[in-house]
Amino acid sequence: MKSKNLCFNLNFLYLFQETVNKLLSSFFKEEKTRCNSDVVVLMAEMLKIFVQEAAVRSQKQAEAEDCNQVDIEHFEKIVPQLLLDF
Amino acid sequence: MSLDKDETHQRLKAAVHYTVGRLCQKIGQDQSKEFSRQTIAAIAETTFRQCEIFAKDLEAFARHAKRTTVSADDVKLVARRSTALSMYIQNKSEELNQEKKSTGKRKSKDTEESRDQGL
Repeated sequence: MKSKNLCFNLNFLYLFQETVNKLLSSFFKEEKTRCNSDVVVLMAEMLKIFVQEAAVRSQKQAEAEDCNQVDIEHFEKIVPQLLLDF
Repeated sequence: MSLDKDETHQRLKAAVHYTVGRLCQKIGQDQSKEFSRQTIAAIAETTFRQCEIFAKDLEAFARHAKRTTVSADDVKLVARRSTALSMYIQNKSEELNQEKKSTGKRKSKDTEESRDQGL
């Protein structure tokens, strides 16, 4: 069960790297700009940290307000600092 | 052409949204707090925009170094704003380099294995 879960996570990570690769190339202004493979791995890691940071900070905000559900207003409160930190 | 581009953007956004949803679910499970759908959508949108900023920075850094290929050094520059993040990215990059050095020969075997797992 655990190994299956791990395998799934690996696949998940691999899929996400594929997404990041396409995202980066779609955002480049010049067509000839390329990425090497390390860049995709590192950027996937960085975006994952960005999302986790957003989620954890919103959760803390919800916790401080004693809410059971993390709502948009909690995210709205942490978003300025989050963007300044990245 | 522009319609085509819009569609790929939509699909990429959907992919990001899915990943964000999964990550939020995982974090929510640990603390037994649920994320509202709106929050997940907002985080996904922010991530998408942030990725655009990252990509443009990467391209600019690479061009400044007179390269057309983005390298790991450019990612380190993107991560420079927060010390902890830049340390983390540097360690990760070193790890990747070492892996490449030590498993240069094993790499073809690894990719075969991962392909098997994919099936």
